Amino acid sequence: MSLTGWAELLAGGLITGGIYALVAIGLNLQYGLMRIMNISHGEFLMLGAFLTWWAHTTWGISPLVFLPVAFAVLMLIGMAVHWLCFRQVAARAPNVDVFEARSLMVGFGLMFFVQNTALLIWGGDLRGYEYLAEPVQVADMRFTANKLVLFGIALALSLALIALLKLTLLGKAVRALMQSPIGAQLVGINTKRLHPLMFGIGLGLSGVAGALLSMTYEISPSMGEPYTVTALIVITLGGFGSIAGSLVGGLLLGVVEALGMYFTSPSLKMLLSYAVFIGVLIWRPNGLFSR
Amino acid sequence: MKVPLANRPWLTLGIGLALAAVVPWIASDFVASVALSCLMYIALATSWSLFCGATRYLSLATSAFFGLGAYSSASLLEVLPWPLVILSGAAVACVIAVVMGAAVLHLRGTYFAVLTFGMTELIRHAVTFVEKQVSGTVGRVLAVVPSNETVYLTVLAIAGAAIATAIAVKRSRFGLALAGIGADEQRAQTLGVDTRRYKIAGFALTAAFAGAVGAAMAVRWTYIEPAAVFSPFIGFQTVLIALIGGAASIGGPVVAAIVFSLLAETLRLQLPYGYMMVLGLLLILCVMYLPNGLASLWQRKTAALRGNGHD
Repeated sequence: MSLTGWAELLAGGLITGGIYALVAIGLNLQYGLMRIMNISHGEFLMLGAFLTWWAHTTWGISPLVFLPVAFAVLMLIGMAVHWLCFRQVAARAPNVDVFEARSLMVGFGLMFFVQNTALLIWGGDLRGYEYLAEPVQVADMRFTANKLVLFGIALALSLALIALLKLTLLGKAVRALMQSPIGAQLVGINTKRLHPLMFGIGLGLSGVAGALLSMTYEISPSMGEPYTVTALIVITLGGFGSIAGSLVGGLLLGVVEALGMYFTSPSLKMLLSYAVFIGVLIWRPNGLFSR
Repeated sequence: MKVPLANRPWLTLGIGLALAAVVPWIASDFVASVALSCLMYIALATSWSLFCGATRYLSLATSAFFGLGAYSSASLLEVLPWPLVILSGAAVACVIAVVMGAAVLHLRGTYFAVLTFGMTELIRHAVTFVEKQVSGTVGRVLAVVPSNETVYLTVLAIAGAAIATAIAVKRSRFGLALAGIGADEQRAQTLGVDTRRYKIAGFALTAAFAGAVGAAMAVRWTYIEPAAVFSPFIGFQTVLIALIGGAASIGGPVVAAIVFSLLAETLRLQLPYGYMMVLGLLLILCVMYLPNGLASLWQRKTAALRGNGHD
């Protein structure tokens, strides 16, 4: 294979990886901070994608303009879900282990509910629209413009979130909460306000990822689950609670998948992801980059 | 009425089995098929809570064992007699569970749940891939199948065996060890329980029942494909039934299995999406307001009757 071919393959992997990272960071905020393994995460990505598709085809709103709206809507939904379900589960659970098991089951319930509501409203067909679909020449490589936009925004958002956590007071509070929930409360960090906010931001990121995906790929109500699984794989790779780890893990998984699919066959894609996932969980359950 | 029956589980089980055994001869085809699906979920949920309820290891791998059983049944149906087909389905699932258990049972909580889910998907994709490459097909058609009555009685026998095993295990050293692992694994270890061996044995036992059910149910469908027999939905519904019924009890999952199969068979055809939405909502509400399952309703009453109001 020529050098350009290799570069295109790797870049393609990185582009997919950017989306993986964005979805995974959202999930990691929820798990790292609140111990909520939100298995319905991908369903909210699907919601974001359908909202964007709907806004674009009905009112002709540009998907890029709609991105902040998708984020805000999903964030509000996330805060409502947290307030309605997880807040009460947390109040009733005697310890963290029980809370984790119960919130996992609530996640499954949400997954059934959201996915089938979408099926009821939009039906099971594949849908899509054309947006920025013309090819762009970068060096010797060719990509469609929407993929480059997708990668740029995904990467920018991920980095912005990492900066937010590293540099601001809010970020400091979140990191403190990740390290020691009780200690954080003792120094006056208000978990009652931070938890819904961070849960909302996590879902908001997932919604943005969905909006970006709807520009490049066809969407359907069942598109969410594979992304949930991929996000799980990524946060296992990068380590639970480590946002930078999720970014690196996401990009890495995108490249591994692209290479794996090129050298074997596309039908092996899911098999490869699961093999990576199980391998990492068994040999390095705390993440590849843990010390 | 419930209290004396609950104290005599063997008698209750015997009466229940005898009543259920006559269903295919007196009821319509539709009722018989609903009863069959009740029995299937009774067997799955009871065997699931036997291990997962006692140890609080949340396994999502039921569909994997079910599918493995179905596939071994599909490939052996024409060469082996019927009882051996069922046994081989159980054996295959059991062997895979031992391997899987040895690899993942050192992980607890969310890790274990997510990993068993991943393993199920891995097995499903692997079977799909092998079928495509080696057999050149996606699904298999089962041409020669046993009569409906035979299938019904087989599933009934498996469900009966699952309940009987659950009762027997609960009263044995093995059951105590499993419950000990669920209460506090380190303490159980300190008290001399070989937790690793017990966990693998329990996991394999659960898997054997799921494999047997899969092997028996495969012939009902006459056409099987990985997407159908490894459907995560079978695993989720099993977990859901066990949790809503109360995974620590034996009666709870049985009652919940009957309720859910009735609901599923009547609603699913007319309102497939509506049914799944209701299922999701029920799961959320149940986890929030009835975390120990339906069984906690009558267990609380029993405890109150005995005058030692726990809770």
